[in-house]
Amino acid sequence: MFDFMRNKVVDVARLDQETLEVHGILDDSIYSLELDFKVNISDLICSGVKGRWLRWTTPECPRAIDFLNEAEGFCLEAGIDNKIHKTVGRRSCRHFANLFIECAHAVRETIKLLGWQEAQKKNPDLTFKQFMLTDEKVLEAQSSVVVENHKEVSTSGSGGAGGDAACVKPSARVESPTTSRKSHPGQGNFIIDMHLHTSPASPCASDSVDAMIQEAKRIGLQGICLTDHNHVWSADAVLALREKHDFLVLRANEIITEQGDILVFGFDEDIQGIIKLVELKKRVAAVGGFIVAAHPFRGFLTFGADDVGLTPESAMAREMFKWVDGVETLNGKVTETENKLSQDVAKGLGLPSTGGSDAHDISTVGVYATAFDEIIDGEETLLAALKAGKYHPVVFR
Amino acid sequence: MSNNILKFAMNRNTSVEKINGANLRSVCRLRDTLTDAEVVIEVKMPDMAICAISGHFRHAYFEEIEDLDQRLQVLIGVRVAAGMLKIIKGLMGEEEKIHQIVYMVEECCHGVILTLTRKVLLKAPDDEAGKFSFYSNMVQKSIRLYDRCAAFAKGTPLVAELESEKTEGGA
Repeated sequence: MFDFMRNKVVDVARLDQETLEVHGILDDSIYSLELDFKVNISDLICSGVKGRWLRWTTPECPRAIDFLNEAEGFCLEAGIDNKIHKTVGRRSCRHFANLFIECAHAVRETIKLLGWQEAQKKNPDLTFKQFMLTDEKVLEAQSSVVVENHKEVSTSGSGGAGGDAACVKPSARVESPTTSRKSHPGQGNFIIDMHLHTSPASPCASDSVDAMIQEAKRIGLQGICLTDHNHVWSADAVLALREKHDFLVLRANEIITEQGDILVFGFDEDIQGIIKLVELKKRVAAVGGFIVAAHPFRGFLTFGADDVGLTPESAMAREMFKWVDGVETLNGKVTETENKLSQDVAKGLGLPSTGGSDAHDISTVGVYATAFDEIIDGEETLLAALKAGKYHPVVFR
Repeated sequence: MSNNILKFAMNRNTSVEKINGANLRSVCRLRDTLTDAEVVIEVKMPDMAICAISGHFRHAYFEEIEDLDQRLQVLIGVRVAAGMLKIIKGLMGEEEKIHQIVYMVEECCHGVILTLTRKVLLKAPDDEAGKFSFYSNMVQKSIRLYDRCAAFAKGTPLVAELESEKTEGGA
């Protein structure tokens, strides 16, 4: 017996010389919804987006319909999926976004068919396969239909991390700045938010590095680690930030591996794409760095690791834990249960624990942090402390 | 009227079933005017790691993808978890002709997630007040839901309690 079934149907008709009419249906074991809109053939711009719920879950799901107009004017060229996720998915509903992406794909396939039909007027024997293999103009035309969306998608994608000082080549480690670090008497520890993202270095973050530092200072943290996704801050840029704000700013990185996200300290290499964890460990160890499993049990929107029956014992056997030097056991983006599972696993394996907010905007900076026994004044002292295990995660805010 | 005749039609079906006692098998089938393809993944529970995968095109307009099944094996061990999409895309590559198969792997993974989501949603009460309370509690328990869609957007009824707690906590 099937536990879940999802059916999606999309059809495209040609309303007139200039217009396609698109109709999509998503019907699954949980949701049922429909989308209708029109597309201008010459520029792939969509209009008249209308949606309808037939089955939904929360009492507030019907609100999603009002936000479908966010997609009005989208150019449905290849590469639009990200933008659909970020606008329709976030402001309306991810299931409408899913169907919209299918519809956009169907539109692009239809445009290919129309191109073939045009070409057949000159060469009636031309098959579709031959047309696609020989007429590269079709693909070129597809990718250059409209540059508007492409530009927007590019700036919101990983390539958007190039602003300001973000793309400068990394250099040597950032050590004690000329300005003195002040300890905060009375707290007994040196507290650093070890996991934090900034815009534009992390496309998913919404506040600038200056805003994040100001907030960290305001709430009384003694330092932050910039862990922008697969992004290496230059030593000069970070030094300039320290001096500008008279605040400890440290470089780190959150790197994507096939086994999940890894926080990396003391490692300058600019890794892009996915790297095998074993390979990352090898490279980081070669330069004396330190790696931490970030939010290792981050679950889903409506259920977590506990709901699927994952126990600390079975979780400890994960391949990932053979390679990491530490585990992030307090992360601001996961549930208490998921943090608890991380704590149990770290304890069971005898691995040191860190804490970090994983903040992507100022509202959550410092919710969790790491308390060091000694003053940290630069990357060397941070690495030494991490390796010595002289720290523990704390709830800070 | 000729404009009632479809230019393009697509059907995509994803189904999930339990196999071998606990593991889940998720199958995504695509049939449209131009393409006929299938991807099958098996997910080991409770770790939710892909432990078997296969895929093939019965019909496609582009050149055959050599060793498709072999290429898919790079996804063995990847966990169906938050952040999986960037891992799947990163491991499979960005070639245009591989896009559809990568999308179908994602659909299989979404099927697994929705299967487990459905189990949670079945616990929701039928009456409106009970339902409201159920989803309000859900967003309080899982902060990731907050402001991620219209139903849980900032300032809306289901997140009111969460927002008042945040205000009190921040004061």
